[in-house]
Amino acid sequence: MTGGVERYLIVGAVLFVLGALGFFTRRNMIVLVLSAEMMLHGVSLSLVTFSRVHHNLDGQAFTIFILTVAACDAGLALSLILALYQTSKSLDIEFWTELREADLPPPMLAEDAAAPPIVPPEPMHFPRLTPAGRVPDIHDKRDHNLIDDAASPTAESPTEPPKPEDVIKTAKR
Amino acid sequence: MDWIAEHWLEAASLVLIAAGIWWLMPPAPSRPKVVGLLLALVGTALLAVRLHAAAGPHLETVLFFVFAAAAIVCAILMITNRNPMYSALWFALVTLSTCGLFLLQFAPFLAAATVIIYAGAIVVTFVFVIMLAQQSGAAVYDQRSRQPLVATVAAFVVLGALLSTLEDVRGLSEADVFVEARPTSASETPPTTVANPLSRPAENESLASIKALGRSLFGDYLFAVELAGTLLLVATIGAIAIAPRRSRGTL
Repeated sequence: MTGGVERYLIVGAVLFVLGALGFFTRRNMIVLVLSAEMMLHGVSLSLVTFSRVHHNLDGQAFTIFILTVAACDAGLALSLILALYQTSKSLDIEFWTELREADLPPPMLAEDAAAPPIVPPEPMHFPRLTPAGRVPDIHDKRDHNLIDDAASPTAESPTEPPKPEDVIKTAKR
Repeated sequence: MDWIAEHWLEAASLVLIAAGIWWLMPPAPSRPKVVGLLLALVGTALLAVRLHAAAGPHLETVLFFVFAAAAIVCAILMITNRNPMYSALWFALVTLSTCGLFLLQFAPFLAAATVIIYAGAIVVTFVFVIMLAQQSGAAVYDQRSRQPLVATVAAFVVLGALLSTLEDVRGLSEADVFVEARPTSASETPPTTVANPLSRPAENESLASIKALGRSLFGDYLFAVELAGTLLLVATIGAIAIAPRRSRGTL
């Protein structure tokens, strides 16, 4: 029972500020909601600490209400994100920056256009076995088409492919 | 200048953590991540010196530092990761660390409830939505962030302000407040004059008792519980109403 309670408050403050920082900087709507939930974590930790300091259960009861509100929050936010995703086909929050001059483009979209474009990655080459043995007797032409489709690199090209070094980093991770 | 002379350790730790986070922010993918992580870790260690109040090497202290370091480092990794899937998983780790801190704070029911609701329901739902909505690996909006330098500086100024406010309670243990807040006997302060009398644990009852928590919830906060139930119902209806319909073209 000994020990300062200040450090718990400090951790709560750090979690709150880091959540706010994530909310300010990130552009993925899902990460935004996650950051908001992390701010709620910081507040919950502070409330539980206050409950311990004053030796009553008010803080813990408040934290249960925070849990309730967080559950509602997550459900509503996710359905909103899905609805917005249907409209813009992207999770980017910059498509929804309406609070600006009417004749200006969204700030980050202009910056994206000004930034160096992301080089499409090299299509992956997998080793192929050298043909050996007797050629099988295939009357159906569709089998050959299948092989050709698999060899062509146009099967999957993402709309905005990342830089090659990003791909390497992602692979390292 | 006096303030800086007194608090140079905390200021240095905050600056280090801020620099590490700024280094890890998405717009510059070519920076080595190790530098940012090292900066943030050194800053967290310096902050740990500040966190280390005059408490002995008890088990609670050790556990506190483990959980607190895990929470802060996972939080940093969560807000700087370029892949939202990894962000969701780091968030689950933040949740688990916070639950460890709840356990240290005599709140076992809250720890269990938070694990079940956050790690068990919310994070899983988020991962579902990420998989639904973001099927092609890395996207531009994950690679670049919005005003990383300004936001980091502003956030850490706020954090410095919060920490300097917490200076006032440095070294305060719950015993100090506990003696003042607790009624010495039932006769001196009758329960009717105490705010939320049912929220106080009984004489020989621990703060961690679930019975006391239930008495508080369904005694003092009964109307709030009813309101929270209504809120859940309304949110459920709202989520169903907002969610895209299959007839309007599903995902």
